[in-house]
Amino acid sequence: MSNALSKDARFFVSIYTILLRAYPREFRREYGSQMVLLLLDCQRDARTAASRRRLWLRTLVDLIFTAPREHLNNIRKENKFMRNLRSDLVAIGGCVLIIALALFLLSYGRSHQVSSILLFGYVLDAIAFTGVVGNLIVFLLVKLTSLRPLRVALWTFLTVSIVPALAIVLIAGSDPKFNAPSVVIGYVVSFLFWYGLHALWSHKLRPSETT
Amino acid sequence: MKVPTRRPEEFLPLTPAMFHILLALADKERHGYHIMREVDERTSGSVKLGPGTLYGSIKRMMADGLIEELEERPDPELDDERRRYYRLTDFGFRVATAEAQRLEQMVRSARAKKLLPRAKAG
Repeated sequence: MSNALSKDARFFVSIYTILLRAYPREFRREYGSQMVLLLLDCQRDARTAASRRRLWLRTLVDLIFTAPREHLNNIRKENKFMRNLRSDLVAIGGCVLIIALALFLLSYGRSHQVSSILLFGYVLDAIAFTGVVGNLIVFLLVKLTSLRPLRVALWTFLTVSIVPALAIVLIAGSDPKFNAPSVVIGYVVSFLFWYGLHALWSHKLRPSETT
Repeated sequence: MKVPTRRPEEFLPLTPAMFHILLALADKERHGYHIMREVDERTSGSVKLGPGTLYGSIKRMMADGLIEELEERPDPELDDERRRYYRLTDFGFRVATAEAQRLEQMVRSARAKKLLPRAKAG
């Protein structure tokens, strides 16, 4: 195959190289040189002036339709990012609020001597602890892997509920003042609370994930 | 490589350009110009992929894990080193199969409604 291009063909390729600026920068960087290479190959195939003109027309029409499409795709991607960012911020804010409320109620319960009667302190201790640790782990795993969020929440909250409850029972079990059933109930309630909250979020977010 | 977490049916229907590209890559890895030529020849010139359509579709299919870029060119001696080669992934093969089955079902329906003649046996 001859590598020589006619003068008009070379001119069209340089025009096309300029017109590629109609595509988003990222797309141009990734595929611009490949598109020019493709056009050069097509130019070599088009032997007659008529076939070259048809090729140029087709290429220009293709550019007119596909450049706006690439920009639209970028806008959609940015919107999705903003939507995700918003829901992340709402989720983080919600967790912080719940933990703050739990700590406030915990200190209130302790100062007013109601914790031992209503399991107040045990439950709130567990909610605050599993909330801080569990939500951080869930957030990182969901952002850094392609694992399913609800499944991540289930296993994370199971782990951060069972491990500390067992550790507390093992460490403080011999102390006569230690109330093992209350600790266990506290962590069970905490698990149900956080996992239930994630299941609720996941259910609410599902319709927008399909877009 | 991106591991797809979605089912092949979720990608259907494919755009004509995407399906033609998957068909072109079904038997061997090709670069952009080869894909374009293969589609052109297979459809007797009725489908001509422009550079924007071709590389826009390639970009989306790579992001979805349907195709992947080869790290090494199959024939470095005979070829322009600037060319990038693409091949179908296992997931892309499953998506192409699902789309072919969907189209086959539609053709069967068209035959049942006598919009198309019956397929000849053998």
